[in-house]
Amino acid sequence: MRVEYINPFVEAAYNVLTEVLATDVKRGNLFLKSATKPVMGVAAIVGLAGEVEGRVLFDMSKSTAVKIASVMNMEELTEIDDLVKATISELANMITAQAVTKLHELGFKFDLTPPALITGDNMEISDQEVEALIVPMESPHGNIEINVAVRERS
Amino acid sequence: MSTTNVETGKGTKDTEHLKKIDFKMISFTLAGRDYGIDILKVKEIRKAGNFTKVPNTPVFVRGVDNLRGDIIPIIDLRTMFNLPAETKDPASLENIVIIRLDALILGIVVDTIEKVVGISHETIQPPHPIFGDINIQYINGVVENEGRLYIILDVDRIFGDSEPVPTAVASASVNDEGDVPLTASAPAAATGSLPLDLQFVAETLAAFGQFHLSPVNQDWVTKRLGEWKSLREAKGLDFQLTLKEEAQEFLAPFASRHTGQVWAAASVAELSEILKFDGSQIAVWNPGCGRGYESYSLALLLQTRFSKFSYKIWASDHDLLNISTAPALVLDEDSIDLEWKEFTVQSKNGLQFSTDLKGHVLFEFHDVNHTNPMPEIQLAVLRDLLSYLKVSDQEKLISELSEKLKPGGYLILGDNEKLQNSEWKDVSSAGWSVYQKLESVTDARGVN
Repeated sequence: MRVEYINPFVEAAYNVLTEVLATDVKRGNLFLKSATKPVMGVAAIVGLAGEVEGRVLFDMSKSTAVKIASVMNMEELTEIDDLVKATISELANMITAQAVTKLHELGFKFDLTPPALITGDNMEISDQEVEALIVPMESPHGNIEINVAVRERS
Repeated sequence: MSTTNVETGKGTKDTEHLKKIDFKMISFTLAGRDYGIDILKVKEIRKAGNFTKVPNTPVFVRGVDNLRGDIIPIIDLRTMFNLPAETKDPASLENIVIIRLDALILGIVVDTIEKVVGISHETIQPPHPIFGDINIQYINGVVENEGRLYIILDVDRIFGDSEPVPTAVASASVNDEGDVPLTASAPAAATGSLPLDLQFVAETLAAFGQFHLSPVNQDWVTKRLGEWKSLREAKGLDFQLTLKEEAQEFLAPFASRHTGQVWAAASVAELSEILKFDGSQIAVWNPGCGRGYESYSLALLLQTRFSKFSYKIWASDHDLLNISTAPALVLDEDSIDLEWKEFTVQSKNGLQFSTDLKGHVLFEFHDVNHTNPMPEIQLAVLRDLLSYLKVSDQEKLISELSEKLKPGGYLILGDNEKLQNSEWKDVSSAGWSVYQKLESVTDARGVN
């Protein structure tokens, strides 16, 4: 993962989450991971294409997803329904889009794919050939892990 | 608090045992005794009969069977282990365990196949000559589970490499010395070849300095240990390393020249004498680049000495703080060789390398122990990196390098590191540890 890519993703995640949740968000320590990883329950995936190939995955527990969707829609939601799914997809889209905009300003051109949302229990994600950067974000509504795996086309 | 602990104490211990199931075996009986075979060796179990007799085979070979198109030999364990044979109805089907060894699939006839037993590896007891009716060299161990004693057969040794040897009853060898150490002797020999002093130091270096003794650095550590001993004796101290600081002091001279600074022009000139490249492009891989001094120095080397090539340097480090500063590395004006001045510019933060030079270096936040997605490279620079990886990771990385590097490509190691491998030609000179990948292994024989 190129050094220049790291900050835009971290900043975008921080900015967007602080703004939509209207609360303090804390960034955990960044680290790298390449083994199979459990998914907490709700995962939104945005693909990246262009000069690079990769994807960004937003991972959170179901209760966190419901709470975040409640705050963003300003109404009390209780279960993973269509509205929650659409909201989380949109959140993923907002963060990735902002990161890509920042990267574009630095001279890197990426394209996005529409977000896909996956929910379920006991899921794992394995991308064996890719090393992922994990950006843990902590909010009062629960933790969100942003898992960025991008590599140059070689 | 303490009372609850006492109450649950036994329960948690039991569940811990249950949790730790890391070895599963298929259990079966043979003449009234329970046996086990590691489930990973077992391909399947089935019932079969009417085997095709093959003439002129040992008595324990019952014949061959057609397993969905594959012809596999069938071996009767009772006969093989000299247990009394049962008289059976020739038309009846028998219980077969099909086992898979490296290249060989074969079926063994047993009395009854019971179930899969999960146990913890730690509970396996080493074989003792009085267990079972089978020569102990064919036994992995003995384990107790739910009140039954299972003898775990070592199928690799029974059926592996050489042809199976029909073994007689345990009485054949109650010879502890000859048989028991078979399993223990191999690892002992590996570490036993090192002097005891070196072993101690190696352990502390690994613990305190994340420095791992291997053939790459063994020569240096041996030499340094000699110096270290006399140094410590002069101070009236023991040579053992007991503190992290001592380990660091021990390792201090290990660092290659120009670590943490831009290489001097004279060193670059020496290195350029060793290297020769073909084609028009040079791809360089520089993992463990730290704050980037090494990567920029390589860029200077290629820029000044190999100017007709276009080049790209892939640099990476797993320390986020170091690698983050690398793209905008600020230089100390006084420590830079005059020859490099033309490649630097003054920025608002201080002296930096020019955008043109920076454009050739790509810094990545990456852990070298993970998958390394890399195009074919001509030059790999891993100074003082291998020694700080675990020995198994060192080997993995070296073999990965010989795959990724083009034939004739170079590997640069730390000044105090050596590569002992027949696939590489030692072209070290002027203190630079440089190795060239040979065209192919057959060529290597020709050259030598």
